[in-house]
Amino acid sequence: MPDRRVVSVALTIAALSAVLAVAAPGFFSRENLGDLLLGNLPALIVAMGATLVILAGEIDISVGSVFAICGIVAGLLAQAGSPMLLTIAGTCATGALLGALNGVLVAYAALPSIVVTLATMVALRDGLRWATQGAWVQNLPSGFQWFGLSQGAYPLVACAVAAVLQVTLSYGLRHVAAGRAVYASGSDANAARLAGFNTALVKSAVFTIGGALTGLAALLNAVRFNQIPSNAGLGLEMKVIAAVVVGGVAIRGGRGTLAGTLLGLVLLALIGPALVFLGINAYWERAIQGAIILAAVALDAWRARRRQPDVMLAVQAS
Amino acid sequence: MRRHQEWLTSGEWILLFALLIQVLVFSAIAPNFFTRANFFEVLRVSVELGLLAIALTPVIVSGGIDLSVGAMMGLSAVVFGAASRDWHLGIAAAALVALVVGAAGGALNAVLVSRLELPPLIVTLGSLSLFRGIAEGLTHAAVNYTDFPASFLALGQGYFWGVLPAQLPIFIAAFAAYTVLLHRSVLGRALYAIGFSPAGARYAGIPVQRRVGLVYLLSGLMASVAAVIYVAHMGQARSDAGTGYELDAITAVVLGGTSVFGGRGTLWGTLFGLLALSVLRNGLQLAALPSELAGVMTGTLLLVTIGIDRVRMGARAAAVSATEALDVRNSQVAVLCATMLVGSLIVAGTNVWLVRSLASSYGRSGAALAQPSGQTSGPARRRPVIAMMPKAKGDPYFISCRAGAEEAARDLGVELIWDGPTSLDAARQNELIENWITRKVDAIAVAVENRGGISSVLRKARGHGIRVLTWDADAEADARDFFVNQATPEGIGNALTDEAARLLGGKGEFAIITGALSAANQNEWIANIRKRLAERYPNLKLATIRPSDDDRDKAFAETQTILRVYPAVKLVMAISAPAVPGSAEAVRQANREGDVNVIGLSLPNINKPYVHGGVVQAVILWNTRDLGYLTVLSAARLVQNAFSPGARSIDAGRLGTIEVRGSEIILGAPLLMNKGNIDRYDF
Repeated sequence: MPDRRVVSVALTIAALSAVLAVAAPGFFSRENLGDLLLGNLPALIVAMGATLVILAGEIDISVGSVFAICGIVAGLLAQAGSPMLLTIAGTCATGALLGALNGVLVAYAALPSIVVTLATMVALRDGLRWATQGAWVQNLPSGFQWFGLSQGAYPLVACAVAAVLQVTLSYGLRHVAAGRAVYASGSDANAARLAGFNTALVKSAVFTIGGALTGLAALLNAVRFNQIPSNAGLGLEMKVIAAVVVGGVAIRGGRGTLAGTLLGLVLLALIGPALVFLGINAYWERAIQGAIILAAVALDAWRARRRQPDVMLAVQAS
Repeated sequence: MRRHQEWLTSGEWILLFALLIQVLVFSAIAPNFFTRANFFEVLRVSVELGLLAIALTPVIVSGGIDLSVGAMMGLSAVVFGAASRDWHLGIAAAALVALVVGAAGGALNAVLVSRLELPPLIVTLGSLSLFRGIAEGLTHAAVNYTDFPASFLALGQGYFWGVLPAQLPIFIAAFAAYTVLLHRSVLGRALYAIGFSPAGARYAGIPVQRRVGLVYLLSGLMASVAAVIYVAHMGQARSDAGTGYELDAITAVVLGGTSVFGGRGTLWGTLFGLLALSVLRNGLQLAALPSELAGVMTGTLLLVTIGIDRVRMGARAAAVSATEALDVRNSQVAVLCATMLVGSLIVAGTNVWLVRSLASSYGRSGAALAQPSGQTSGPARRRPVIAMMPKAKGDPYFISCRAGAEEAARDLGVELIWDGPTSLDAARQNELIENWITRKVDAIAVAVENRGGISSVLRKARGHGIRVLTWDADAEADARDFFVNQATPEGIGNALTDEAARLLGGKGEFAIITGALSAANQNEWIANIRKRLAERYPNLKLATIRPSDDDRDKAFAETQTILRVYPAVKLVMAISAPAVPGSAEAVRQANREGDVNVIGLSLPNINKPYVHGGVVQAVILWNTRDLGYLTVLSAARLVQNAFSPGARSIDAGRLGTIEVRGSEIILGAPLLMNKGNIDRYDF
């Protein structure tokens, strides 16, 4: 049976799509969907990492700052004339390193993750601002934009990367021991430890993977342009956490799927442009976004409530 | 179980110790830090944030979170403004309406969290958007309620007996009430029990839903109290009130030792956390250290305090029952030591920096010590200190102004303090000016984010004998000596509209990409653009206005959508510096260069590729470097009495003679940069 919340979110998306199909069929043009897909791929990849972290019972609100730093690092590497492969490796490594810093503090120093990542979020953002003084990275080599591919070929590569990640990570979470360890650590860390899982290792690993994915996302975002601003990713953590939680991942860990996160992100990514297509005034947009998020989760609670009596009966019967 | 634990927990002692160190360090390095006036000023600026933080403490203790408090401040503020101005209610009635709105918003959260049992994080994330969005929708993000009666403003700006900030008693009352609620009542014990284990609390007969609902309701209510005080403090009510306060408030609570998992934490801890944050910010500003340092040091402080607390708790793990086993292993101690080492390295690094800045200002502070009550003017044996504030430090526009300001400071031998909010924030601007008054700088030059809000504090600065200039955007005329006017909003609006009309041949549709929807400058330009359209270009149609939040990537996505939804749009006008390259890239990637033009208000360097590529037709701006230069130069001339009100012109060094019109120093007409001349400018 598919997850309850996933169904609620899918229903909300379907309703929104139905409205769009009637009122603004232009929304479903291939070009528009392509643009939306490409524009939201970086957030999706960051959300995959955030899903892992939240499944393991932790949270990472420093992703926006890490995203900005990785973008700048990618630009500086490219500017220094490093080959593309090295730029990719360097950017992901920077993200992984910053993620590992969070992970080690959370897992081995036993600090609450929200405190650790709140601290690194603020410190990294202000540190970057101090270091760059707000300057952008400009004069990138011509081979940087689109990874040196054509504008037509790049989306295929980016989508392939995202698809491979989504499939691999989903499979890994479900069928590989390490994936099950993430769920186990998230649902009950003590029980997992007693069952022989190295929960500290699991937790630091999910932060590290999350950091590396953020680095990759920052790179995929940076190569769409020919210069890199130093204030990228502001508010990214909220967007990503909202997508993950709307997608039905339990905020306390142990429950949820990557498919849910994908749907959650699709919903959030649709709302903004959809409102433009529907001709709704920009000033009301944020209120409507909030209302749709609340409606999606309230729908979920309502469905749960309706089903509860059956569950109670089932429990009594067993 | 002991009924009364020791007065302070170990975490609070650590925090108190950190606070003490802060006070000692800043007393040594920051001029006028250790004074009674500054002590109360720190308390004053902490009140709004403090109200949110004390309301959040029981929420977090009961295992929840409320991210919507900052947004609720914005909503309550505009409702309060509307009630008092548009509905002609008295101040008291308007405040009551605002409180009702706050309670209603809190009740919405309460119902969703406690009745429907939804995760508080996602509920309040949603209501954050909802509240802020309603505030923006009601006011179109542009209405700014001002002109409140002086008796009301005194609540936020006045003093009792000349020293005690007027809003402080409210804070103390709220703190006392919450202390009783959380620490001295059955209800408070219930919240701890719920935070510790909701299921256990239910089995113990606690009505969990009602108790949890109550704290969310109260948190909404307190946010609206904070909003009313904020309005009185700033003298204005706008939809962006309290932006980002939720994160600061949570930081204060967590710093105070409240466990984010619930079940542990005290209000005293929150108070100390709040003070530690406020003192850090105030001290850094008085010492004229870069405000970015505040973020780095807040982060370090968080990790170190919570880290030490954690170790000590671990040592007493047997005494404290916790769900997780907190036995400290050698590896954990090693990691903690390493963390503290890194932390201390950062602190050491900043210390080196401190010492260096201390050395450079030593001569000056020595002189100040020699003549303790040293009023600022007088034959300048010491170098005049000019404090200059941009609207936002990270904005490339202001960074290029800074280059000119520093050039002038070097040329004239004055000391320049350059500091400002890291993002648009009227409250932070006021706070910084208060600190500069305390620091007794010689001149203040401000790029005003919000004229209604800042004017009273600028008047106060003038009352202290400080020369006040405004630049980039003006305050009320009697609040400053001069305004360095780079271009009027009307001039900018006209130049942009005329250029758009020229490119479109006088007819067609265009779209505007603005900064944040509530940005005051941009809204003023848009108003002037609309006016010019109505007067001159009836066939030119403004199809839509979209926000970019000063984010290049968002401007890119918005432009992509505009190009699809409004195929008739043949010109995109981006009026935020990072938005122009974003829009240009979107046009280029859609292969519509030549078909769709991009013009806007931005900086030359980030636009050169697009101007040369033929996507961007024109960038309109004044010479920002000259603007910074002229501002510092005028301030220095004012301080040295080489220039005074009534002058018709000013000798502006490398800029030649500059015209002065009334109390406005006119930089000159805006520049129009295009393919032909953009390479001449480098900023």
